[in-house]
Amino acid sequence: MQKKTTMRDTFWNRVYELAKEDRDVIIVSADMGAPALDKFRSDLPGQYVNAGIAEQNALLIATGLALKGKKVYAYAIAPFITMRCFEQIRLYPAGMNLPITVVGVGAGVCYEESGPTHHAVEDISILRILPHMTIYSASDNQMTHSFADITYRQKSPNYVRLDRIVLPNIYPDGTDFSEGLGILRPVAEKTIIATGSMINTALQVSDTLREKGISVGVIDAYSIPIQIEKFRKATKNASVLYTLEEHTLPGGLGSQVCELVMDYNLPLKVRRSGFDFSQGYCYTYGGRMEIHRQYDLDVESLVSKIEAE
Amino acid sequence: MDYSFFEKKAQQLREEMFEVTVKAKTGHLTSSLSCTDILTALFYGGILRYDPKAPDWEGRDYFILSKAQASPILYEVLADTGYFPKEDLNGFAQAGGKMGVHLQSSVPGSEILAGSLACGFGIAAGLALALKKNRENNMVFALLGDGECYEGAVWETAAFAAHNRLHNLVSIVDRNYICATHFIEDELSLEPIEDKWRAFGFEVKRVDGHSFPELFAALANVRSRRSTKPLVIIADTVKGKGIPMISDQPLWHGITVTDESDIAQARKELYNK
Repeated sequence: MQKKTTMRDTFWNRVYELAKEDRDVIIVSADMGAPALDKFRSDLPGQYVNAGIAEQNALLIATGLALKGKKVYAYAIAPFITMRCFEQIRLYPAGMNLPITVVGVGAGVCYEESGPTHHAVEDISILRILPHMTIYSASDNQMTHSFADITYRQKSPNYVRLDRIVLPNIYPDGTDFSEGLGILRPVAEKTIIATGSMINTALQVSDTLREKGISVGVIDAYSIPIQIEKFRKATKNASVLYTLEEHTLPGGLGSQVCELVMDYNLPLKVRRSGFDFSQGYCYTYGGRMEIHRQYDLDVESLVSKIEAE
Repeated sequence: MDYSFFEKKAQQLREEMFEVTVKAKTGHLTSSLSCTDILTALFYGGILRYDPKAPDWEGRDYFILSKAQASPILYEVLADTGYFPKEDLNGFAQAGGKMGVHLQSSVPGSEILAGSLACGFGIAAGLALALKKNRENNMVFALLGDGECYEGAVWETAAFAAHNRLHNLVSIVDRNYICATHFIEDELSLEPIEDKWRAFGFEVKRVDGHSFPELFAALANVRSRRSTKPLVIIADTVKGKGIPMISDQPLWHGITVTDESDIAQARKELYNK
């Protein structure tokens, strides 16, 4: 079981082990560090490239390296490594289907005090629509560790979305993360499907409602786009799906669930929870929970919402 | 040295490429004409190492057309050197065709998808870095437009290439002085362009991009330069070179001649050179 480590250290520690055995593994950092990367830089200096605070160039350098057979990880704070260089991601990893893994730290609003510049709240929307792209949205360290292996083996582009803080361990050792969906509470008539750190909220909501005699399932959508056959199988026993994401509503996890339900004519109702920024971005300070309360993403609001239906 | 072979080859390429764009009724004709002599020197002058029968040959040099709007002339060169049959050019930007107005990576020899400016240059630097790491001595040649140098990402890459001493990267700026809408120096100046590249850490050469003696002089010994700096060659050119009626005029960007009378006049000017 992974101990109290940040997701980025968990991820880079595993990439370090892979890189020691494979000189083609290269990290292109846009001036973003991590304690685990210090070891990488000192032991494997030839496999670490700092592109400076220049995300567009970082993605292009990554592309050139990938065209020569390198397995490249392009790394920075999530909004910058996904949005500043969106066109480069669109054309090269995605457009040319190259094995480049974009790694962003700072999922959702975990840079809680930094304001909208540092909130990664549209990254799922813009990346899930790209050809060949798979988003890996981490909810715990066991999963994060596994994402290093999965992305290392992948021949197509990936985006690994990591939280900044140390999150509780959820999954046991040896969990297979190839399914894309994890069932964390048995799927019931009412089931929450969430991603990233919001899984912890979903579990608390489910546990609170169980005490009130209401069974609520919890599905962890850690791989996006969600595959229809896996989704169909996982939601077989559900009739209302509550989507939950620390992300803007348009285009995110909830949107994809709606698309699946509509496109495949599934007998499901969908209720979405996420950010509505139609009236402006979030400038709330005082912690992540404060932000969640403002947007009804806190346990209490979600319990009421599900209980009321 | 007799440069007549290159003069004739460039003329042939211009004529054939012109007809491809006329047939397709599209293609960035003037942008292609300004760099025709540069591509002729690289591909026919023994500068680039390549094998049209094995586009993925590990020992090849990489030619990256960062100003990918000039794809008509690259496609013409790739067909002429034997990467694919010349008949394929007949499908340029047409139904069932294998190539469009900008660069498509599925075309043998094209290396990358391109058309969004500044991207090819960064990829060229990434390739050069990978080659250095692998201790392979292939070279990377990138062709940029001068208007492309407006893109901030060009300068992100320039700083990176110089810092990482990518001496295996040769960049050529097709300095035709015109971007899409106007004359560059009037609208938003790029001069002193040599100083800018030099300040970023490049070895800079400036040539007449239509002079084979000057192009070959600048490209001589690019594999055995003493400097560890990346090399940039600013090649002064004329946008639309070879067809005076469309030369050096901003409004001829991004199109080809389509009116019958224009086509006749352009043919007259091009073929009766």
